[in-house]
Amino acid sequence: MTSAVSVRGLWKRFGQQVAVAGIDLELPAGKFIGLVGPNGAGKTTTLSMVTGLLRPDHGTVEVVGHDVWRDPVAVKARIGVLPEGLRLFERLSGRELLGYSGRLRGLPGAEVERRATQLLDVLDLAGAQHKLVVDYSTGMRKKIGLAAALLHNPEVLFLDEPFEGVDPVSAQTIRGVLERYTASGATVVFSSHVMELVESLCDWVAVMAAGRIRAQGTLAEVRGQAPTLQRAFLELVGAGGRDAGSDLDWLGGGAR
Amino acid sequence: MTTDGATPADITSVVVRLKLSLLRNGLRQSGGRRAAYVVSAVVVLLFGALQLLGLIALRGHAHAEAVVVLLVAVLALGWAVMPLFFPGGDETLDPTRLVMLPLRPRPLVRALLAASLVGIGPLFTLLLLTGSVITVAHGGAAYAVAVVGVVLALLVCVALARAVAAANIRLLTSRKGRDLAVLSGLVIAIGAQLVNFGAQRLGSSGLSQLEPAGDVLRWVPPASAIGAVDSASEGSYGVAVLQLALSAGALVALIAVWARHLTKLMTSPDGSTLQSATDQPARDPGTSGGLARLLPAGRTGTVMERSLRYVWRDPKTKAAWVTSLAIGLIVPVFNALQGTGSIYFACFAAGMLGIQMYNQFGQDTSAFWMVATTISSARDAYVELRGRALALLVITLPYATLVTVLTTAMLGDWPRLPEALGLSFALLGAMLATGAWTSARFPYSIPQEGYKNVAPGQTGLAWISIFGGMVSAALLTAPVIAATIWANVAKNGDDWGWLLLPAGAAYGTAITLTGLHLAAPRTASRLPEILTAVSKG
Repeated sequence: MTSAVSVRGLWKRFGQQVAVAGIDLELPAGKFIGLVGPNGAGKTTTLSMVTGLLRPDHGTVEVVGHDVWRDPVAVKARIGVLPEGLRLFERLSGRELLGYSGRLRGLPGAEVERRATQLLDVLDLAGAQHKLVVDYSTGMRKKIGLAAALLHNPEVLFLDEPFEGVDPVSAQTIRGVLERYTASGATVVFSSHVMELVESLCDWVAVMAAGRIRAQGTLAEVRGQAPTLQRAFLELVGAGGRDAGSDLDWLGGGAR
Repeated sequence: MTTDGATPADITSVVVRLKLSLLRNGLRQSGGRRAAYVVSAVVVLLFGALQLLGLIALRGHAHAEAVVVLLVAVLALGWAVMPLFFPGGDETLDPTRLVMLPLRPRPLVRALLAASLVGIGPLFTLLLLTGSVITVAHGGAAYAVAVVGVVLALLVCVALARAVAAANIRLLTSRKGRDLAVLSGLVIAIGAQLVNFGAQRLGSSGLSQLEPAGDVLRWVPPASAIGAVDSASEGSYGVAVLQLALSAGALVALIAVWARHLTKLMTSPDGSTLQSATDQPARDPGTSGGLARLLPAGRTGTVMERSLRYVWRDPKTKAAWVTSLAIGLIVPVFNALQGTGSIYFACFAAGMLGIQMYNQFGQDTSAFWMVATTISSARDAYVELRGRALALLVITLPYATLVTVLTTAMLGDWPRLPEALGLSFALLGAMLATGAWTSARFPYSIPQEGYKNVAPGQTGLAWISIFGGMVSAALLTAPVIAATIWANVAKNGDDWGWLLLPAGAAYGTAITLTGLHLAAPRTASRLPEILTAVSKG
C-alpha cells in the first residue's frame, strides 16, 4: 500500500504548551481519511504543519513521496487545502476568488473559468457567485473554500473541520463532491470531532488526543469491540465513564 | 411568566444601572482603556468649561444669538451622525440586545432615554447648552425659559441619536455599517479641515457672517429652544413660546418615530442572514471585467487585479490610500498656495504613496495562506511582490507626476520640474524596495475591526517596519539628493538639471528591482512565519 502522507516524529511547541508531541502517521492513498479528536487535541496544528502553513519544531512530513519542507514545488502543486480559522480574500466575489486562486496556481484563464463555473454549479453557489465572500454564510464560505481547494485537481485534499457550522443541505453537497473525488483515486484527509460523520464517511481513521496519536487504522480496526466509533473514541481519549452529574436535581419536571 | 412585578420605574433604574455597569466593565478591561477614558473625560470637561467661559464672555455681543444657535445646531448634527459612525460606542444603543426580555415599548423608551443621559457626551452637551443660555438670557422670564429650553434641547439631542440608531440598526449591525465605521476617521479629518476653513473666514470677516444662518436656525429644533431664551430676553414672549413649542413638538415626534422603530425591531425577526428568494441576475457574464484585459497575463496580472480591487473594496486599505492620496496632495499644494512652498515638497506624494508598499502581507490578513500555498520558489515570491509593486505604480506614478506638475505650475518654477520629478521617482523606487524587504522581514497584523492599524504586541515590529524602512529609503535616495544639490550649487549645474529626470527614473527602477530580488528569497523561505505574524488580527 502506498502512502499519501507520511509523518515521522512531528513536534510543535507554543511557549510552554506542547501542541503536537511527536506523532507518526501513515495515511494510505486513495482513501477517505478522518483525523478525529476533542477540541485542543492538536488536529489543526498537525494539518497546518502537514500542508506547509506552520513550521514544525522537529520531524518530517512527506506528501506523495515528496518532503513538504525540502521540495515545496512538488508538494504545493499536488495538494489542496481548506484551513480552519484563516480568512479568505473576502472582498472578492465567489467567482473572482476562484479565478484568483486558479490563476495563482498557473492554470490558463479559460480553463479556470470552465472549472469555476462547474464547481459553482455543483456546490450550489451559482446564484451567489457575484456576491462578495464577506457576505457569505458559514456554509457558503466552506463551499467556496472547498471549490478553491479542488480547482487545480490536487492528488491529496486536506480539510480542517469542513462540516463545522454547515447546514445539512450544504453538508450533503460537500459530501457528494468529496465522495466523487475519492472514487477517482484521490485522497481526502479531514479533521472533525463529529464521530457519526466520520463513521459514515471514512474508511480510515486516526484518533488524536492531547497532541498524540491514540490509534490509527481502518475504521473496523480503530472501533475494535466497541459498538460505535463514538464509544471507542471516548475510551481511547479516557472520557468513557463520565456522567452528566447528579447535582442538577432541580432541572426539568416543570417550573417551581 | 413572573415579570408582572416589574414597574416602569424599576425598568428605568435597571437600564440606567446596566449602562453604568457596561461603562464600568468596559473600563475594567484594560488599563489603557481606563486611561483613555479618564483623559477624554478630563479633556471634555476642560473643553466644556472653556467654552462655558468663552460663551459667557460673549454675553451682550451683538451677534451672540447667532453664535449660540449655530453651536447648538452643530451639536445636534453631531448627535445625529454619531451613532452612524460610532455604533460600538454605546451597547445600550442597540435595542435588539434586549429583544428576549418581556418589555413594553413605552417603559422601554423611557428607560433607554434615561440611560442615554448618562455619559460624557450628555454632560458636555449640558455644559454647552448652559453656556449658551447664559450668553443670551436677560431677565427673570428669560431665565425661566432657559431652564425649560436646556432640558428640551438636551432631550431632543439624545432622542435624535436614539431615533437615528433605531432606524438604522440593521445597517449598523451589518457588514456595510462596519465598513462605514472604518471610514469615519476620514470624515472627522475632513470635517476638521472644513471647521478650520470656516474659522479662518470668520477670523477675517467677523461674526456678522453668521447672522443669516442664525435667522434660519433659531426656528429649527433643538436650536429653537435656545432661540426662545433670546426671544424672551427681548420681550417677545409669544415668539419664545412658539419656539419652545417647536422643540417640544420635535421631541414628541422623535420619540414617536423611535418607539415605532423599536416596536418593529423587537417584534420582527432579524432578516439580515436571509437569502433573497430571487437570486440576483448573473450580471457580468464575461466575469473578468475590463480591468483584467488591460493587465498582463499570469501571476503578475492576477496579483495586480486583486491588489487594485482591494484598494477600492477593502475599507482599511481604502482608508489608508485615501489618507495617503490626500496628504500627498495637501502638503505640497497648500504650501505652494500659502507661498511657503518649495517644488521639492512634491516628493511628499511619492513618499506617502510609497508607504502603501509596506507590510504588504499584513494587508492580506490571514488570507495570506492563499498566497503562501501558491509560492514554492523564490521566483514565485518575486513575481508576487513585483505584481504588488506594479499595482501600486499604476496609481502612484500618474498621481505623483500630476502633483509635481501642479506644484510646479503654482510656483511657476518650470526649469526645476525635471529634477523634482527625478527625485520623486528615485524616492518612490527606494520606498518600493524597502517596502518589499520589510514586508518579508517585519510583517505584522492589521486588525480588521476598529481603528487600530497594528495588532496588540506588534507595535514594535510596526515601528521597525515603517520608520526603519523610511529612514533606509531616505538614505537610499541620497545619491539622487546629492546630485540635485550639486545641480543647484555648481556653476554649470543648471545646464545638467534636466538629466536628473532620466537618472532619477533609472535609479528608482534599478533600486526597486534590487529590493524585490533581495526580498523574494526571504519571503519564500519565511512563509509560515509571515502567516503567523499576519494572522493575529
